[in-house]
Formats: sequence, structure tokens, C-alpha cells
Amino acid sequence: MSIVDTAIAAGYTVGDIMLLAAAGFVLLAIGMLYRAIKGPTMQDRVLAVNVLGTNTVVILALLGGALSEPWFLDIALVYALLNFLMAIAISKFTVERGGVI
Amino acid sequence: MTGNTTRLLVPVTRSRTLRNTVAYVIDEAIGAGTDSEPSVVHFVVLSGWRSDDPGSEDERADAEALLDRVTFWAELDLEEADAADATVQIETTIVGTEEYLFSPSDYARVLSKYAKEHKLERVIVDPEYSLVGHITLLGPLEFELAQADLTVEEAPVERPTRRSQFVGRTNAPRFLALFGGSFMFYQVLGGFSDLLGGGVFDIVTGAMTALIVAVVLSNVSFYRNPSVVDSPKRIVRGLIYAPYLLYEIFISNIAVARVVLDPRASIDPKMTKIRVFVGSGLPLVTLANSITLTPGTVTVRARNQELYVHSLLQASRDGLFDGGLERWVRFVFYGRSAARFPSPLERGDTEVLQGSAVDADNSGETDEVPMSDETEENT
Amino acid sequence: MIATLRIGAIAICLAIGLFFTLVSMVGVIRLPDLFARAHTASQADTLGAGFTLAAVAIAIGPDSTAAKTVLLLFFIFVTNPTAAHAIVRAAYEEGIEPWTQGEDRR
Repeated sequence: MSIVDTAIAAGYTVGDIMLLAAAGFVLLAIGMLYRAIKGPTMQDRVLAVNVLGTNTVVILALLGGALSEPWFLDIALVYALLNFLMAIAISKFTVERGGVI
Repeated sequence: MTGNTTRLLVPVTRSRTLRNTVAYVIDEAIGAGTDSEPSVVHFVVLSGWRSDDPGSEDERADAEALLDRVTFWAELDLEEADAADATVQIETTIVGTEEYLFSPSDYARVLSKYAKEHKLERVIVDPEYSLVGHITLLGPLEFELAQADLTVEEAPVERPTRRSQFVGRTNAPRFLALFGGSFMFYQVLGGFSDLLGGGVFDIVTGAMTALIVAVVLSNVSFYRNPSVVDSPKRIVRGLIYAPYLLYEIFISNIAVARVVLDPRASIDPKMTKIRVFVGSGLPLVTLANSITLTPGTVTVRARNQELYVHSLLQASRDGLFDGGLERWVRFVFYGRSAARFPSPLERGDTEVLQGSAVDADNSGETDEVPMSDETEENT
Repeated sequence: MIATLRIGAIAICLAIGLFFTLVSMVGVIRLPDLFARAHTASQADTLGAGFTLAAVAIAIGPDSTAAKTVLLLFFIFVTNPTAAHAIVRAAYEEGIEPWTQGEDRR
């Protein structure tokens, strides 16, 4: 039995706590969406989306841990890579007049 | 064309065959020029910037330095050939600063306009002449310019080496380092199952993947050869640095969290400039990233040794100017003795760019130039 | 005993992680301009993610999956500030002036 299934109180397990935390991250992500929608500049939006992406990675990792689905972490890893690439590519593209690489 | 059309237009850029191209051009000009009817050679730089862009100053200075060098070479060649001064006239200019140039046709349009204005008839192009990345522009330029009644020819100079315009060429240490890194990364993702369990599938596929990565990318992933002696030392010192950095991040995050969450607290953001003493490449990236990771400071721009840092609070500015992170990065990359170093404040290498004291020269400061020397991760 | 310690560590790490992500969210919404927002977006968020991933790693225990989590953690610590730097640099080069005290918020 892994630690995730250990009951702590009133039948709730550690996995439940982690799911609860993931729910909290989702709420925070919804808050950040405000900045992604409102802007006002393009960079504000990119920044907000970048933060949202980091949040998504964390949520994926939490779900992977809580539900004992280790392959969630692979997806989180790929998502983190894409998230980074997105921020870099958009910033470069807006500044260097199309010469991304 | 015929021998007496000796008004030449030569677009130049930094390339390994530039020196030979200049020699060839001057030779051509001397051969055709006479005292009464001198040859004219125009060396032009096509600007990749617009003159009122922020940051154009550096690029302009760079282009002017290049033109100076070309002029110097040309005069040297003239002297060697014992040509009379009057037979060849050399002019240098930068064209295309009024607009953004995108495609080869844009370049060709600007060039042919310039040629028409100065009655130039022949264009000689350096075989390695290229403005965008690794693509030589000769083909497209030739096509475009031929339609504008200009003769285009490639300077028949020897290319010292074929196709090595990448960052560096690959060699055994780079190849092995990248191969090893990629292989280990693959094994981590695969969960080490085969490496520990005695299977072969992960090992074979991992080796093949790493081989592909190493073959394709080992010539662009390193600035200098990885050293067998220094790299492990740096990794160990980096491991000592990591806890300190984490502690620092944690402490200053709490300070920033208080300011952000407290509705009465106010922030005092200012742009600052700081001159740091770490080498380019990985050390500078490490320092800039460390500065960004420490709350209250974000590196906005890294330009040679100068970092433009946006700071949120007076406290974070003070911390930055104390240079703790700089000393640590010096320790990680150069060893303990290098870490004893005066702080930026003591050196006088700090400057606050915004605020009442320096409002006057603030506007000039934003016109400074980006330096795309900021490198991404090398690994 | 060890299990209790681990559960405690998980709970603490999760709480700290959530707290810093909250700081990051409040900062991103509340601060006056892009440059100030980049501070919380890159740093508070990185630390929040770091602690949460640490909690996940502790929960998974000594396993190859935990190695992946650590890799992810390291990766976020390297890429997040770099991305923030790139975004802020893009803004600065576009000519957006950083906000200073006394101006209207944007």
C-alpha cells in the first residue's frame, strides 16, 4: 500500500488531500485567466498564459501522484517543454521581426 | 560586361570570404580604371534595422566598423598593386535604414535603387554573402537584379571551408557530452527499467535516439568544449550553490508576498543597470536566471556584461547591488578564490535608470540596444 | 512514524505551494504593469510549483517516477525565469516603459 492510499482522518486519504490541492490550483488558474483575457498588452497575455501553463503542469503532476498514474508525469514534462517553447517563440517573434531562430 | 564599365556595387557583410572578395573587387577595379576615367567601387551594408528603432545604435556602429575594415583592406590592396590613387575611388555607405527589409526582393530593390542613383552597373557578390541565417542570398539576388538591368556576378574566391557557419564545428568531446546527456535523459524518462533490470530495449532505443540527437545538434549546443576537469568541479560547486539559492528565493519571496498581499503596502519599481563580472555564455545565463529567480528582481536584458534589471522594492535593489549572487556564480564557475570580489556598489557599477534623480537621461537610456547574445540553455 | 512524517511533509509542502501560487495569482491580477507582474509570475509561481512538485515526489516515494518529478522540478526552475525574461525583454524592446510610483496603473 502506498502512502497515497493511507487514510488520515474520517476516511480521507493522502490522495484526497492532493486532489483537493489540485482543485485549489484550478481555482487559482481561473483567477489568472482574468489577466490573460484583459491584457492589456500582448506580453501580459503571454505572461498569464505562461503562468497558467505552469499551473497546468503542477495540476497534472498532482493528479498523477494522487491517482497513481505515473504516466501523467510524462505528459506534464512535455507540457512544460511546450509551455516554455511557447513563451520563447512568441517573445522572439514579436521582437525580431519574424526571425525566430 | 565590357571592360570599361567599372562602376561596381559590392554588398558586404561579415563573412569568411569577405577579405578575398575585397581583394578580387579591387583587382577588377584597378584593371579597368584609368586616370581620366577612374573606377568607382561602392561597398554597401544593407541594414537589418531601422534608424529610429531602439537599439539601432549598436548595429550601426557595428556596420560602420565593418565598412572601416573593408576600406582599410581595399586601400592596402591598392597600395600593394601600386595603383595611382586616382584610378580607383572607394565609397562606403549603409543603405536601407528607412524601412524594414524582409525578403531577398526587398534587398534587391534597395540595391538596384542605390545602383541607379549612383549609376553603378555591376554588382559583385561575396559567395558567402547572406543576411538571414545560413541562406546565401546570391541566387535570389541574381534573379531580382537581373530584372533591374544590373549585372550580377559572384566573386570567384576560394572558400576556406565549406558550410561551417554554425556556432562551432563538432568534435569528440562535444559529441560525447551530448550523447551521454541525451542517453541519460532517455533512461530517466524510461524509468531505468532496463538499465537496472538487464533488458536491452530501452538501452538500444535510447542509444539510437541519443545518437541522432548528438549527430544533428552537437555542433550547435556548445560554445566551447566541455572540460573533463572543470565540469565536474562546477557541478559540485553548483550543488553547493543550489541550497543557498533556494534559501534566498524563499526569503525574498516572503518579502514580496507581504507586499503583494498587503493592500496598504506600495511597491517602488525601478529599472536598474548593473555591470557584472562573469564570463559570457553559461555563467552569464546562470547569473541572469538567478537574478530573475530571486523575487524582486527580473533581468530584462543582458548585453555583454551589462544587465538591465527591473527591481520591485528598495530592499531587492540593495540585495542586487550587494552582489551576493554574482559572487556565488563566480564561485561556481571559477572557484573559491574568484568569489572574493568587490560588490557592484563598491565598484560603482550600478545605476538606477528611473526615478526623480535620473529622469532627464532616462529617455535616452531606452534607446539602448538589445544584444542577442543572451543564450538559451546549452544542455 | 516515517509515514506520519511523510504525510506531514506532504501537507506542509502542499500548503506552501498553494500559498505561493495564490501570491502569484494576486500579483498577476493586482500589480500595475507587466514588469511588476513578471516578478510574481516568474518567481512566486516557480516556488509554488517547486513545493507542490516536491510534495508529489514525497508522496510517490523512492521510485523512478519520483526521479521524473525531480526532473520536472529542475526543469521548471530553469525555464520559468528564462521565459519571464524573454517576455519582459520583448516588452522592453517594444518600447513599453516600466511603471514607476505615482503613475496611473495600466
